[in-house]
Amino acid sequence: MTEPEITDTAIPPLSVAQENENGRAVPVAGAAVMFDSVTKVYEPGVTALSDVSFVIEKGEFVFVVGASGSGKSTMIRLILKELDPTSGRIIVGGRDLSRLRRSKIPQLRRNVGCVFQDFKLLPNRTAAENVAYALKVQGENQNSIRRKVPEVLSLVGLSHKMNSLPDELSGGEQQRVSIARAFVNHPPLLICDEPTGNLDPDTSVGIMQLLYRINRSGTTILMVTHDREMVDKMRRRVLALSEGKLERDERRGGYVGE
Amino acid sequence: MTQLQLLLAESLRSLRASLSTTFAATMTVLIAMFLLGVSIALGSWVVSWSNNVKKDVQVKAFFCTENTCAEAVSDQQVGAVQRWLEADPRIKEGGVTFVSKAEALEIMRERSPELVKDLTYNPLPDAFEIQPKRAEDVEAIAADLRRQTFAGVEKVDYGRATARRIIRVGQVISIIFFGVVVLLLAASGLLIANTIRLSIYARRREIEVMKLVGASNWFVRGPFMLEGLFTGFAGALLAVILLLLGKEIALPAILGRVDADSDVQALAFAWTALILLGLGLLLGAAGSGLTLRRFLRV
Repeated sequence: MTEPEITDTAIPPLSVAQENENGRAVPVAGAAVMFDSVTKVYEPGVTALSDVSFVIEKGEFVFVVGASGSGKSTMIRLILKELDPTSGRIIVGGRDLSRLRRSKIPQLRRNVGCVFQDFKLLPNRTAAENVAYALKVQGENQNSIRRKVPEVLSLVGLSHKMNSLPDELSGGEQQRVSIARAFVNHPPLLICDEPTGNLDPDTSVGIMQLLYRINRSGTTILMVTHDREMVDKMRRRVLALSEGKLERDERRGGYVGE
Repeated sequence: MTQLQLLLAESLRSLRASLSTTFAATMTVLIAMFLLGVSIALGSWVVSWSNNVKKDVQVKAFFCTENTCAEAVSDQQVGAVQRWLEADPRIKEGGVTFVSKAEALEIMRERSPELVKDLTYNPLPDAFEIQPKRAEDVEAIAADLRRQTFAGVEKVDYGRATARRIIRVGQVISIIFFGVVVLLLAASGLLIANTIRLSIYARRREIEVMKLVGASNWFVRGPFMLEGLFTGFAGALLAVILLLLGKEIALPAILGRVDADSDVQALAFAWTALILLGLGLLLGAAGSGLTLRRFLRV
């Protein structure tokens, strides 16, 4: 299997977010994620996000960078509706989250794959079982589970380790399992919270190539990262947060602003 | 595989994974339920005993004799009193017994022969023994009867002090019994709640993953709910078994053969068992529900 080079940039065309007369982003049909002047205040005086607006189109690959405490995690939790914004509007996959009933949150999360720095695999289940678990809880039938699990594990290059427990896998392999779990349903949006944060540089490149391939298949990827080299090399859209404010939104940005 | 099967499989898996916590919870439910069972048996026995004693609480209406009034009571007068008594809804069906002076003397002769021995004539009056439906009503019935001032009725009496004391004791016993049971129930409910909390804590990673991959709310909560139900039911079942052993083996050994056809009886064991099992399930559901609401906002 030949992995595509990261530098082989067939970047999907970026449609420019439309702006209204106030300079605010307005909803674009088919936007994967839209923040419309979103503010999140945890308690009086503790502002995690303040007046953040952006639109991410379907199929984009977006890095979110910023120091610790700049509001990156809050952003992810807002997209998953683990938190509700203090003010402003969030639209994910065409749904207005403020109008989403609590009972519909599972449906939202089925359409947003998540990959985390610490993998969040269940330690007492094998790689295949971990992936199957995601399908099971969503009520998939046994036949389609038996079909989809090997398929997605082979996509992430782990066909030979299907029956290994997480402890028996390397960090990179565990992250591949967690990507397989996030992607097994082919969600339109994949959120990655520092997916390479615990991995050495070589392994990180492998994970990035995998995410890149997933992105090429049409999946929107929103990736929070501290990996300066990776961001500078990929030259994709960068959202830079600083103390809860959107500091930069560059179509082909680097880790640090020009 | 249906969702239900999956849910059961997940619950079993989690029960096995947290075997020690589940065991501890089951044991606490067992102890609570055992005590509760004993309280029910003891309490219902005491209530039955006090009811039995209350049966003896009655109103007595004594009729005139030649000695006490101008003339002895007539049959019409007795009939009038009887009709009035039988129309009173507070009085038990067939609870009005006529005791003639001859019968009264007979009873007295049995109780204290030396008193009766020297009597030259029968000084005892005819009487009605009146049993109320509820022992608490004796006072009111007696008062009403007096107010009627029936001709031929010499005296209306009831065992005032005894009646009051018996009723009082019965009430106190019922209240204490009720209090102990409520306390025990609350304690076992909280223990189950706490166990579920530990179980949620122990499996917070799994819950996190469940939410992450979009498990529906009932799917996340189901295993804990079932775990609570199972714990409550298993504890209650074990308690029932222990109680049965105690009743069949320990009690006869201590007390010897208990009189089976006595009027004073504890609640039938089958009922006690059913109550315990039902309460076990209820406690499990309440305990886990309580915790899930607070600690598992999905």
